[in-house]
Amino acid sequence: MSYVDKSIEEIHSALKEGKITSRELIEESLQKSKEIQKKCNAFVTIIEDAKEKEVTDHLLSGIPFGIKDNYSTKGILSTGSSNTLKDYVPFFTATSIENLEKVGAIAVNKTVLDEFGMGATGTTGHTGIVKNPWDKTRMCAGSSAGSAAAVAAGVYPYATGSDTGDSIRKPAAYCGIVGYKPTYGLISRYGLFPFASSLDHCGALTRSVKDAAIVVDAMKGIDPKDMTSYDSKDMHLKEALTGNVKGKKLCYIKEICDKKMYPNANKELKEHLENFEKVLENAKKIGMEVEEVSIDKELLKASASAYVVISCAEATSNMSNLTGIVFGPRAQGKSYIEMMKNYRTEGFSPLIKRRFIIGSYVLQKENIDRYFKNAQKVRRMLVDAWKDLFKKYDAVILPVGSGPAKLLDGSLDILDENTVILEEHLQIGNFGGFPSITIPDGFVDSLPVGLNITGNCYDDENVLNIAYALENTMEYKNQIAKEVNNG
Amino acid sequence: MATFTKEMVENYADKLLIGLTEEENKMVLEEFEVIDREIDIVSKIEGIENIKPMTHPIDDFVCELREDEVEQAVTIEELLQNCDDVKEREVRVPKVVEE
Amino acid sequence: MGKYKAMIGLEMHCQISTTNTKVFSNAKNAYNEIPNTNIKPLDMAFPGTLPTVNKEAVKKSLMASLILNCKQPEYLYFERKNYYYPDLPKGYQITQQTSPAPIGVGGSITFEVNGEEKKVRIDNIHLEEDAASTDHYSSYSTIDYNRAGVPLLELVTYPDLHSAEEAVAFLETMRSIYRYTGISEADSKKGQIRCDVNVSIIDENLDETKEENWGTKIEIKNVNSFGAVKDTILYEIDRQIRKKEDGTYDKMKQETRRWDEESETTIFMRSKVDEIDYKYFVEPNIPKIKLSKDWIESIRKEIPALAKERKEKYQNEYHLSVVDANILVKEKEISDYFDETIKEGTNPKTASNWITSTILGYLNKNDIEIKELFLTPKMLTKLIKKVEDKTISSKQGKEVLYKSLEEKEDPITIIEKLGLKQIGNEEEILVFVKEVLEEHLDMIEKYKNGRTNVIDFFVGQIMKKTKGKANPAMTMNLIKQEIEKR
Repeated sequence: MSYVDKSIEEIHSALKEGKITSRELIEESLQKSKEIQKKCNAFVTIIEDAKEKEVTDHLLSGIPFGIKDNYSTKGILSTGSSNTLKDYVPFFTATSIENLEKVGAIAVNKTVLDEFGMGATGTTGHTGIVKNPWDKTRMCAGSSAGSAAAVAAGVYPYATGSDTGDSIRKPAAYCGIVGYKPTYGLISRYGLFPFASSLDHCGALTRSVKDAAIVVDAMKGIDPKDMTSYDSKDMHLKEALTGNVKGKKLCYIKEICDKKMYPNANKELKEHLENFEKVLENAKKIGMEVEEVSIDKELLKASASAYVVISCAEATSNMSNLTGIVFGPRAQGKSYIEMMKNYRTEGFSPLIKRRFIIGSYVLQKENIDRYFKNAQKVRRMLVDAWKDLFKKYDAVILPVGSGPAKLLDGSLDILDENTVILEEHLQIGNFGGFPSITIPDGFVDSLPVGLNITGNCYDDENVLNIAYALENTMEYKNQIAKEVNNG
Repeated sequence: MATFTKEMVENYADKLLIGLTEEENKMVLEEFEVIDREIDIVSKIEGIENIKPMTHPIDDFVCELREDEVEQAVTIEELLQNCDDVKEREVRVPKVVEE
Repeated sequence: MGKYKAMIGLEMHCQISTTNTKVFSNAKNAYNEIPNTNIKPLDMAFPGTLPTVNKEAVKKSLMASLILNCKQPEYLYFERKNYYYPDLPKGYQITQQTSPAPIGVGGSITFEVNGEEKKVRIDNIHLEEDAASTDHYSSYSTIDYNRAGVPLLELVTYPDLHSAEEAVAFLETMRSIYRYTGISEADSKKGQIRCDVNVSIIDENLDETKEENWGTKIEIKNVNSFGAVKDTILYEIDRQIRKKEDGTYDKMKQETRRWDEESETTIFMRSKVDEIDYKYFVEPNIPKIKLSKDWIESIRKEIPALAKERKEKYQNEYHLSVVDANILVKEKEISDYFDETIKEGTNPKTASNWITSTILGYLNKNDIEIKELFLTPKMLTKLIKKVEDKTISSKQGKEVLYKSLEEKEDPITIIEKLGLKQIGNEEEILVFVKEVLEEHLDMIEKYKNGRTNVIDFFVGQIMKKTKGKANPAMTMNLIKQEIEKR
């Protein structure tokens, strides 16, 4: 009998009823970690000496979980999946992890990500490629690849993630689980290694909406160490899950998900979009109104480049502290400049280096207006467009990506111009700090696909409740990855 | 449209204290061209010139200032535990020559 | 200078030394201690750390902004200035560019040079953080991060200054303001003040308000004392005039130089084309900060009387000389001491005399500061009373004062100990009165014949016998009474 692949409430009951102990859960989780490590390469560190904790009335007490390796954890290696920090052991713990540990949660591993979250494939971490537990020839997407793989494989009920463009919500879709990024500032970013500070969000990957609500309820809260965090003590996510969505209004954007937009769609894309249409019908059946809206296609298309420009610019600056002087393996060099340069050249992957150069270029005095400021303007236009939608609708509902997880061979971060909006629209949730959740909505070619629900800032309760109600109309809640391809 | 050269990329890399291989340099050049093309489209979006750049995700969020109260400092052991070159209580680096 | 005039602009960096914590972390704001003691994770830029803005540092900056007659923004933003240097752990400095909104924009302030009032326009004043400090050895350098994150105020003037003397006078005025307001100790010996100086020259007959007439701007970085500011400007003006004279001025390009203490020259650092691009952008980790009108007004009310205002009061209300007024306002602590002494009841002129001569003399001689002085304004006032009521002579007064400072003892106690205490007992004095009258019967006659000033003679005689201890007023009365009886 295994427990760690159950829902949080089920595990909690089992603990309370004495069917299993915290110690046994940890052992089970560590055992599964090792199996999944072999299959998927999901972890940077497995915390073999994880200590059991007292089971209290808190739902998370005594239960194991995973931490994305870009969260600072005291006394535990925290690498950001980068060679620049391959030996870094912090002396302080990220606020949101502290919040989880305070209620009795037990970290059992640190999960692999794309180096510092700057990637969408799960293939650029310094410990190697993360493979999808449903099909090892496919990627998990990124950057929270290890967290998604582990949760999908049933290592524990949840893992933390971070999301700058779609880094929680895309891997969640590819792995058939739930990925939730709350409103910007709901969860403190203190202790999260930054990628692009104005876009970075902490969040969670789980197997159900309710588990996501329970986990984020525990992670969130105002933090004096993060000026962008806010007081949400009156927000109770789990309690908001009534399942009653009568009269709620959803909209989807024609330019993104109408089949007619993709005359040359392949079979996967077609099935994915048709599947999405079915879910819209479900939504109506449970009393929600669903309407089609239209947004200027040129503006939507601009999103991806605005994202690249803003995120690269902030990343270049955020990672300027990585010089090997105070932490990280010290590089050789006759002068301090040579030393810093050697450290950075050896430590960063080629992808990151290229992004730094782009980020630096767009901030140069002579370029900043054309690139960076224009990108920030596009950001506002998109956010304003979404805010307009939220005046009339509770949430925007859209399919995630253009199909199921992509093959690891030959699919490294190359955008297909036709589906670029479909692949990249989740970034708008980061542009505006909107609460945004991905839930599984079916299968294409026996591989999971997902949809996304995004609402207005601070309206997390409403967004989660809608996701919860929709989840109940489908049969993918708490699903565990079943390997469909042994290749 | 801007024109991008190998030397320019090298210069940028140098200022960021990173070295690039020939191949990486070439990739940057290609990416530059893509981004430049896209930004060209962006800059032609109707009405964009009158938009205020958005610097924070929640524009109307106003924060509280921190009270001026000292908190316990980090111990020297913790500060230097990840540093590979320490001289007594300080971090040692190759001689910094004044500019 | 003759044919040319100089146009000088200053960038004055001054640490806010009086907050408890650093500007973006709650580590202690102090760095002249054991290395790496006052550090929070942000100060060494550990991954995942975030800045939090110190309210007190913002408040003090706002006070400076108000005093400089600048405009305060409705919302405050911070920006990142990106560059690599070992003393900059984050790889960027959090500062405020002129856009979108530093703490103060477009002000001006007047200051005095040789009794003449001058005005300098302020481009902006902004709040930023200091870097770590490095020590250099023969083959390596070491970094101490205590200074990283210490709040810095940088003010940027227009090139409205015309001589080294004016520049220094302006800096002295600013230093005085920072000290009077408690924004900073503003001690350049402690490295709290650092300046960058811009110098250009322009033909005497040209209109300097027209930018097209301006000469080539030379910026000299890291000039760290007022003396060096003066030397730098004098040297640089001279260097530029020589260029005019030998015809090479027009070839001179805008450039950055530095002051070299040893050779007492400015040395080329980089030209305008090699200028570092700092890639400024708004700090995303600090949301906009609302500066409410109420808060700004309450800060305005807290601005203490500054040197200029006090000086005017000393001259106009207390009728002190310019020289004395200047001496008294030079340091806020001295001015406060003076004001306090007056509050205790001492006449301003008297207080001024005692403070400017005796007390300041003592401070200078012993190289101590007034706040270390044992003698409080209250004690001083009591001592002055003793002299005024002739209990002791002014010469004795000074002796008592010095003794009080040396032995850290209340002057009144000293007067008693030295036996300077007057005789205030009528019977005791009467014995002397009778004795003196007996000895000078002829004088009594003179008194009775209308020579009332003879009374002073008697008082003098009694003082002689009592070594000056008899209470003069009491003595006088007793003499009169005794003569009447005869």
